[in-house]
Amino acid sequence: MGARRAVITGVGAVSAFGVGYEALANGLAAGRSAVGPIRSFDARTFPTRVAGEVPIEKTNALFLEKHRGVLLHVGEAGTWEESGLLRDRKVCFGLVAAAEAWRHARCGTAERKGALSIGLGLEQAFLEDLAEELDEGEIRVGAGDLAGGEGVRFRSRVDLTAEKIRSVVGLSGRVAVHASACAAGGMAVAHAASLIERGAADAVLCGAADSMVNPLGIGGMSRLGAPSPRAEPSACRPFDRRRDGLVVGEGAAMFVVEEESRARARGAEPLAVIAGYATTQDAYRATAPRPDGSRALAAMERAVRRANLTPADVGYVNAHGTGTPLNDPAEAKAIRALFGDVPTSSIKGAVGHLMAAAGAIELAACLLAFTRDLLPGTAHFEEPDPECPINVIGPKPLAKRVDYVLSNSFGFGGQNVSVLLGRPR
Amino acid sequence: MTHAGRMAVTGFALRTPLGDDAGAVLRRLLAGERAAAPNAHFDASTYTCRLAATIPGAPRPTKHRKFVKRMGLFGMEVGAEALARSGTPANGARLGLFCGYGGLRAHWDDLMPVLEKQAGDERATGAWTQGFSLLHPFWMLFHLSNNAHALLSIDVGGKGDGTTTAGSNAGAQALRAAIVALAVGSVDAALVFAYDSLVEPETLLSLGMSGAATNAPTPAAVVAPYDERAAGIVPGEAAAAVVLERPDDAGDRAISFVSAAATADGAVDFPLPRTSASLAAALSAGDTIVDGAALASPARDAAERAALADVLGPSATLLALTASTGQLGGATAVVQAILLGEALRAGALPPIAGLERPSEGPLRPLVRAEETRARSALALSAGMPGLAGVLRVEVP
Repeated sequence: MGARRAVITGVGAVSAFGVGYEALANGLAAGRSAVGPIRSFDARTFPTRVAGEVPIEKTNALFLEKHRGVLLHVGEAGTWEESGLLRDRKVCFGLVAAAEAWRHARCGTAERKGALSIGLGLEQAFLEDLAEELDEGEIRVGAGDLAGGEGVRFRSRVDLTAEKIRSVVGLSGRVAVHASACAAGGMAVAHAASLIERGAADAVLCGAADSMVNPLGIGGMSRLGAPSPRAEPSACRPFDRRRDGLVVGEGAAMFVVEEESRARARGAEPLAVIAGYATTQDAYRATAPRPDGSRALAAMERAVRRANLTPADVGYVNAHGTGTPLNDPAEAKAIRALFGDVPTSSIKGAVGHLMAAAGAIELAACLLAFTRDLLPGTAHFEEPDPECPINVIGPKPLAKRVDYVLSNSFGFGGQNVSVLLGRPR
Repeated sequence: MTHAGRMAVTGFALRTPLGDDAGAVLRRLLAGERAAAPNAHFDASTYTCRLAATIPGAPRPTKHRKFVKRMGLFGMEVGAEALARSGTPANGARLGLFCGYGGLRAHWDDLMPVLEKQAGDERATGAWTQGFSLLHPFWMLFHLSNNAHALLSIDVGGKGDGTTTAGSNAGAQALRAAIVALAVGSVDAALVFAYDSLVEPETLLSLGMSGAATNAPTPAAVVAPYDERAAGIVPGEAAAAVVLERPDDAGDRAISFVSAAATADGAVDFPLPRTSASLAAALSAGDTIVDGAALASPARDAAERAALADVLGPSATLLALTASTGQLGGATAVVQAILLGEALRAGALPPIAGLERPSEGPLRPLVRAEETRARSALALSAGMPGLAGVLRVEVP
C-alpha cells in the first residue's frame, strides 16, 4: 500500500427522503422511514405497491434546473427532455447527486481532470413507447430506420447516466461503468479509491444511480418474488424475525474522492477516509447467498486487512441487510464471526433497496458516523431473530462515536464488496 | 514495461463470426476473408444497415439458459474453456473473474405478452393480471447485467476478486482491472471474459442513423476501413476470454503477454483519435505494428493514422482485424489480445480484408498478408460515447 490515501470530500444524494444529502441525513437521524405507496405510476393492481420512491412524480427539465441547474448549459435540460431521456429517473437522480457532490467538495477546474466511476442498473425501456411501435405483436420498424417516426427513443442504454454526468461536470478523465447488480455502487467507490491509491487519478467522481420504480422494474421484481408480499410502509424489516422480503427503492449517491494531501492543500475538508475495500465472490448459487456467509466474511476481512486494522477497530457495520429470509442470516453469521457484537444496521427498511445504487446510498448514510456521531438505525426492526445473532441497532439511530465503519453490498449470484471508511484526522 | 502492467496469457478461447478456433480464425484472417453477410438474426430489409457479422451456431445446451441470454452463454462457454486450457493452479479465493460486456441489448420480444393483452385498457387496471403476471419469473434475472459473471463464478469456483464493467470498451476495462488485481497480489489468476453483440435491432438502427454502419447492399460491396471510399463498419459480435497470470507464475505456460488501458474523452460518438494515441504512447515500447480502431470513416481513419504516426512513426504497419470479423463492441479488446498473439506467434500479419484503394496518409495499411519477425503489437478499440481501449500484445 502506498502513501496515497483516498478521502471523500463531497457527497450528494437523492433518496426517498428527498433531494439532497441533508434530506437523507436528517431522515435517518430522526429514525424515520420514507417507504410508502408508489405514486409515480398506477401500481394498484400490482402485488407490490410500496417503494422507497423519490418524492417526485416526473423527472424532467424543470426538476433538473430547479435542483442543480447551475452546471447545465442554457436549454440543455430542455433538449434532453424533448429527446425523452429524462424519463429515465436514474439519469436525473445521478445528475443531481453528482452536481451536489461536486459543489459540496468545492471542486474547480483542476478537479475536472478527474475520473468517473459509477455503478448503474438496468437499461430502461419505456412501455408507452413500445406500445406505440407494436404492430401485431412485433416491433414495427419504418422506412429510413425510423421506429414510430421519432427515431430510436425507447431505450435508455446502460451507460447513459455516465455520459451525461461526465458531460455536465466536464470531467476529462477515464470512465468506468460498474454493472455488478446490487454490488455496483460499492464497487464503484472501491474502484475510485484504487485509482487514487495507484496514482491513476487525483480526483474521482464516484457513486451510483438506479431506479426500478416503474412498471417493468416492479413487475419483474414481483414475478421474481423478492419483494415483501405486504404492501405496507413497514414491508422491509431487515434482521427482524418476521422479515419476508425487500422493498424496491430508487435514488443516487455520488461522492468526490480525492488524494488526501492534495485535497487538504486546496482547502477541501475530508468527510471520511476510504481506508479499505475488497471484493469476493460466493460461487455458490444464482438465487441464494452462501448460507455460511464465508465469502461475505472474506470480503470484510480483506477490507479490514487492507486498512491495516483489526476487526476490533471497526465500530459499526452497515449491512447489506435486504430483509429477505436468506440474505440476513448469512450476512449476520459473517458479521458475528468477524466482528462479534459490533453495532449493525441496515437502512433498507427506511429507503428501500436501491439496487445498483444501494452500496452508494449506504456509504452516504455511513458518513453520519463521522459528521454527527450517529449510527443509522434499522427501520421496522422489532423482533430479533435467533438466526441473525448480531447487535442490530433498532429503528432509532444510536449516538456513538466510532472511528471506523464498514459497509457491505452483495450482488446477484454472490458478488460481494465491502468498503471501510475511517474518521478523517 | 513494468511487471505491474504486463501479465501473461496462459489460456484463451473465443467465439467470433469467423469461427471458434483461434488457429483457424487466423488462417481466414490471413486469407483476407470477411464475415459480413446478410443479417442472419432478424429481418433487416428495411434498415439502412442490412449486413452483419454473426457468430455461427448457438450456445451449447445448458441449464443456465433460463438465466442468461445467447451472448452471455457464449461468454460463459469461452470463460470455462479458457480456464481449462490455462493449466493454472490458482482456484477458489485466488481466482478472480473480470467481465466486460457491451451493455444490455434489450430483447423486447419478451415483453410482447405483457403488452398485447393490455390493448384498450387505458386505465391500466389489468396491468398486472393481463400483463406483468405473464412475465417469466426469471425475467429480471435474465436481464441482469452480471448474470453471466455470477453463474460463471459458480461453474468455475472463482471466489476471488470480481468486477463486471459495461460499455463499448468494457473488454479493455476488464483486462485492466484484472492486471491491477494481479499486480497487487489479491488474486493469482484472473479469468477475463467479454461479450457483446451489435447485431440487435436498436443498435443497428442507431448505427444506421448515425452513418457509422455500412449501407452496402451486399457483402462484396462493403468497403474496407482505411480505404479512400470507406463508408461505415459492419456490426459484429463476439465472446472471448483469456486467463492472465503474473509472468513469474506462468513460466513456460505463458502464451503471450498483455498490458491494457482504457479511458473516455467525453466525445458523443467515437473517441478522438488523440485519446487512443495517448494511451498507445503510454503502453508502447518501440512497437511498429498496430491494429487500428478501423471505424471505416475516411475522416476518422485519417485522423487516427495521423495521431498514431506521432507515436509509432509514419511507417508503422496498420492492421484492421475487425475488417474481417466485424466490429465487436465491448468484446473487441479481448479478441484482439488473442488473435494478435496468434498472428505474432505465427510470424504472419493478416491484411486489411477488402482493402483495395488505401487512402493517402501515414502508416502502412496492410493490403496483403506478410511475414513478420516482430514480437509485439498494439491494438486499439473505440466505441460510443467516447470510449477507448488500447492493449499491447507481446509473444515470448
